Amino acid sequence: MNFPMEKPLFQFFYWLVNTPGLGSVAIALLVGAAVTIFFLTLRWIVSAKNEGEEGLPFPPQH
Amino acid sequence: MQPILTAQDRENLVSPLFKFDRQFWMTIAVLSVITLPGLALYVRQLFLGLGVTDLNRPVFWGAYLVNFIFLIGISMAGTVISAVLHLLHIEWRRPITRIAESLTVFGLMTAGLQIIMDMGRPDRLINTILYGRLQAPLMWDIASLTLYLLTASFALYLQLIPDIAFMRDSTPENAPTWRKKLYSTLSLGWRGNKEQWTRLEKAITTVSVILIPIGVSLHTVTSWLFSTTVQPGWKSTILGPYFVVGAIYSGIGLLFIAVTFATQYNHHLKSYITDTFYKNLGWIFIVMSFVWFYFTLNETLVVTTEQETLEFPVMAAKLFGEFAPAFWGMNVLMVATTWILIALKVPNKASSNPLFKTTTGLVMTVLAVVTFIALALNIPTLHGAFVELGLLIAFIVFFVLALLGLTGWFQAHLIPSTVIASAFVLFGMWLERWNILMPTLTHARIIPYTTYFPTVTEVALTISTFGILTLIFVVFYKFFPSISIWEVEAGRALEIKNGG
Repeated sequence: MNFPMEKPLFQFFYWLVNTPGLGSVAIALLVGAAVTIFFLTLRWIVSAKNEGEEGLPFPPQH
Repeated sequence: MQPILTAQDRENLVSPLFKFDRQFWMTIAVLSVITLPGLALYVRQLFLGLGVTDLNRPVFWGAYLVNFIFLIGISMAGTVISAVLHLLHIEWRRPITRIAESLTVFGLMTAGLQIIMDMGRPDRLINTILYGRLQAPLMWDIASLTLYLLTASFALYLQLIPDIAFMRDSTPENAPTWRKKLYSTLSLGWRGNKEQWTRLEKAITTVSVILIPIGVSLHTVTSWLFSTTVQPGWKSTILGPYFVVGAIYSGIGLLFIAVTFATQYNHHLKSYITDTFYKNLGWIFIVMSFVWFYFTLNETLVVTTEQETLEFPVMAAKLFGEFAPAFWGMNVLMVATTWILIALKVPNKASSNPLFKTTTGLVMTVLAVVTFIALALNIPTLHGAFVELGLLIAFIVFFVLALLGLTGWFQAHLIPSTVIASAFVLFGMWLERWNILMPTLTHARIIPYTTYFPTVTEVALTISTFGILTLIFVVFYKFFPSISIWEVEAGRALEIKNGG
């Protein structure tokens, strides 16, 4: 049995996987999302303010 | 909160990074000599095209792709050691997490180079980006590789931030200005307050959780490049897990070698990287060797038993054809590795029996190598069923006696033995990647069988690749501490807290 290509859903899937350039778009989205998350994480870490002691040599719970 | 490490400890870890001594320049010179011929031959390949290699239809992938899969595999070390051991709170991981994570990044970078090398027209690389389609397994591999490289680099950087800040604050007065600026910029203004530490630890834990599935995905997606085809020897459902197991196995092997290299380079590291690391990771190494043997047996047994028309010639080429030296060579190396690893775990009682003398072992090793070469070369004067059978029996006897003879030496030398075992695993795993690719490509379906043998260009570029990998490693650790200072300090603090 072949894929039921007369159904719009399968036509959409066919377009999705076979259109040149869409693979690169997917990778660009993936990489863009990863880089943004990493950048925001770094900003979140270094922007942390604390009234207490600074220059702790290792995590305080140790 | 006071630092646990003394000022002398910190001096021992930081001062070598600012001394560009003779040893450093000699290492760079040797690695350059190893690397440059390959690079020169690559320029030649660029001008003359892939005709300078032995790549041709149907063997469109050769040594470069073998290197690619091998390097992807060894990059698994960082994921296993850093992420898994971090999540399990294994304490002995602390001094080696940095090296493990960096091996992942460097391994992936050099793996990416192989794809460029494999392209006759690298200027057309842009076309894969412009016209890439979602249905192409190569696109999945690019996606997985890019994401893994980004995440592994991020994990390495996260873990480096406190140490970079420490370097920023400990840079000697006479250090170059650009270096001071480098540490100042990369430390992102880290001040080491309680909240920053809390957030950093949360981020490291989260990245560790993410890194494991991404790492597994890369190794399985790479296997899909093969298993989604209809080529004999490749269309196997076990190829994904087999790649992952091989990756962890070879990754640990590279980690042992890299850590030993680093401790030889800076002797002060020996007080942090102790025998405990070799002993404990050695257990995981043994487990991986058994799992790897089981998967190899599975793949071999199933194909050999079913004797399918297209599949069996590929397997036959490995078992007793032109790929037999590589296939059996790989197995011999892995058996030797497993023996060494097990020998290191049993009490040292192997000295009184003459069978267990080192000299006996060395003589038997030479004899075993000679008989293996005679078998592998298939020397015409040795042709004949009985001669070959005799050589085979002789090899097995010499090999067993060699392992028995050297057992005492293995047991008395933990670190050298582990490094030897690791080198065997690395070479064996390179052969395994060769055995997956080449027998199928030379025995492809429908078209006539062919042969492939790497040319001087391919061999030189393979050597260059490993030269580049080592060069990146050496240069990187001239700028950043090879052990995580803050992690080691946290471990010591924990020991003191627990009454250690």
